[in-house]
Amino acid sequence: MNGLLQKVYDFVDERIDLKTLEAKMMNEPIKGGSRWAYVFGSCLLFIFIMQAITGMLLMFYYIPSADHAYATTQYIIHEVDYGWFILSYHFWGSSAMVVMVFAHMSQVFLWGAYKKPREMIWLVGLLLFVIVMAFGFTGYLLPWDQRAYWATTVGVEIMDKTPIVGDFLARFLKGGPTPGQMTLSRFFVIHVMILPAALMGLAGLHLFLFRSAGPAGPFRGTLEELRAKTDFFFPRQVWKDIVAIAVVFLTICSLAFIEPVQLLEQATPDPGDYHPEPEWYFLFLFQMLRLKVFSGELGQFVAGVAIPGAFMLLLAALPFIDRSPERNIFKRPVALLSWTVVMIGILVLTVSAILNREFLE
Amino acid sequence: MAHPVESNSSIKLAWAVSWSAFWTGFPFKLIVALLLLAGQVHPWEGAGLVTLLVVSVPIDIWAVGLTARTVFLERLGMEVRGPVGVTLWWQGAVLGALVLGGAYYAVGATVAVSQKVAAAMIALIKNVYPTLPIAEQITLELLLWTIPTAIVMLVCGLIWLQLFGWRVKRFVITSGQTTSASLLERVRQWDYARVPADPTLVLVSFAGVIVTLTVVFWALLPVTTPTPHPDYPLPPVEKAAKPVKPEELIKKTEVTLEKAEAVLTALEKEKSKETKKGKGK
Repeated sequence: MNGLLQKVYDFVDERIDLKTLEAKMMNEPIKGGSRWAYVFGSCLLFIFIMQAITGMLLMFYYIPSADHAYATTQYIIHEVDYGWFILSYHFWGSSAMVVMVFAHMSQVFLWGAYKKPREMIWLVGLLLFVIVMAFGFTGYLLPWDQRAYWATTVGVEIMDKTPIVGDFLARFLKGGPTPGQMTLSRFFVIHVMILPAALMGLAGLHLFLFRSAGPAGPFRGTLEELRAKTDFFFPRQVWKDIVAIAVVFLTICSLAFIEPVQLLEQATPDPGDYHPEPEWYFLFLFQMLRLKVFSGELGQFVAGVAIPGAFMLLLAALPFIDRSPERNIFKRPVALLSWTVVMIGILVLTVSAILNREFLE
Repeated sequence: MAHPVESNSSIKLAWAVSWSAFWTGFPFKLIVALLLLAGQVHPWEGAGLVTLLVVSVPIDIWAVGLTARTVFLERLGMEVRGPVGVTLWWQGAVLGALVLGGAYYAVGATVAVSQKVAAAMIALIKNVYPTLPIAEQITLELLLWTIPTAIVMLVCGLIWLQLFGWRVKRFVITSGQTTSASLLERVRQWDYARVPADPTLVLVSFAGVIVTLTVVFWALLPVTTPTPHPDYPLPPVEKAAKPVKPEELIKKTEVTLEKAEAVLTALEKEKSKETKKGKGK
């Protein structure tokens, strides 16, 4: 068997120079050695692959029409063998992707790994972040229940407030005065075709740029220590990645068991008793829009569009503003303080949004 | 003269051991929890919780032993022989139980007091500014009681780390031996010790365990949702169709046809008799 495998390997190697490819993939030197802090990128790739697989399985049964979307989703949950688990995994997988993107971006920010010569990796990473959020937003409508319908309505209304392009974007996404068949079709196409294609292309570019610039390595340690600990990607970092991926997979599976997807009533243009709310990772923004200081047309624009937009622009400009070569986060107090304030702000506003629910009854 | 280990921070040392040990043992505990969930046994209550705790003890002992030896060698340049995992685990568990007991009351009291203070402060603000919006009120109240609670929790955590670190240091001082290896050798020593001598055997065993766990998982996993939608129409119960036996069916049909033919013949005879009678009249 080993002989046969060797022959197959040699056959492929002769044609595509597999050995060089393997060496490039596995023998990447890691300054300062393998670390658990470097596992987030691999975990993200794994989550995306699993989302693609579970998404394709769901598409075997799902019909993206206003008449059938709700019924087919219910059919997947109640009738298809293990359908409830696949759907719940896909649902929690999307949340895991958002959490992992935040973790990955935080690690890069705190490690100062966005600095020269890694500015382009950071910029492509930001685009990937936007794509991940767009995945969440477009996928949320597809079950076509009240939660999906009203979260999309609120989201598109916020988008509408963007100057110049807002009106066009909102009309393009809705395809009519209220969300309906056209909205569902467009969201479906964006979710299953445009975004995966964009993500695959950009993720490939991200990896290429990462390999070109090389890993940044730890932000502290003497030259002797770093040299002593320098390691190759295989086997230690590969092992750490595998363990982290297993933890992510098991966590998503556990969440699918603990809180499986349950639909509300079928979508109608009348919210009834239902209080519209976006997915949990947009709750902080939703709660910010509720604050008195952001009431009124201008306030809503500031909280819903201007602040998030300015924040994204600031992140994009970060490697060009922060030109200091210092990477140690404990010697970058402004960066550490900013990150802490943003994280606490997101956390507090998210919890506030959850607490706010009881005042809506 | 103080032992060189004494110069290390207890908190940092305890953190290095416990944080790594937690993540080393966590995947194994997660596998057990997932299998329990697949079998519809909640791992956070009753038999599920007991099972998880029982399984967690040996996992934690192994994880603490593994990570502690690495930390001692890499950071302190000390080699420790004997049952590192068991010794440190029971000391950490006893200290954990003590600190957790204290933390339960400390955090509970802080929450109660700070929530009262927050409510009083909100009431005071409302006296000055009666139209305080609900969203602002929630966020303000949340910040007012979570900040002191988080500080108390952090202090409790630091107390445990300080105590555990102190025990870890004592253990290293009494049971450890200074290694003469250079930094490079020390780094490699434990690193290489973890690379298996027979990688093929390890890979095959690893794959075997994964396949077994996957089979067990899918065997336990409920086929239909354990949480059906209250309004979802239950599918009509279909009666099982009787199996068709062609030979019997043909025979039965033939018998029926024969009977029908006999009835038809009898009817025709009767009709012809009646016709004859009619003609005779």
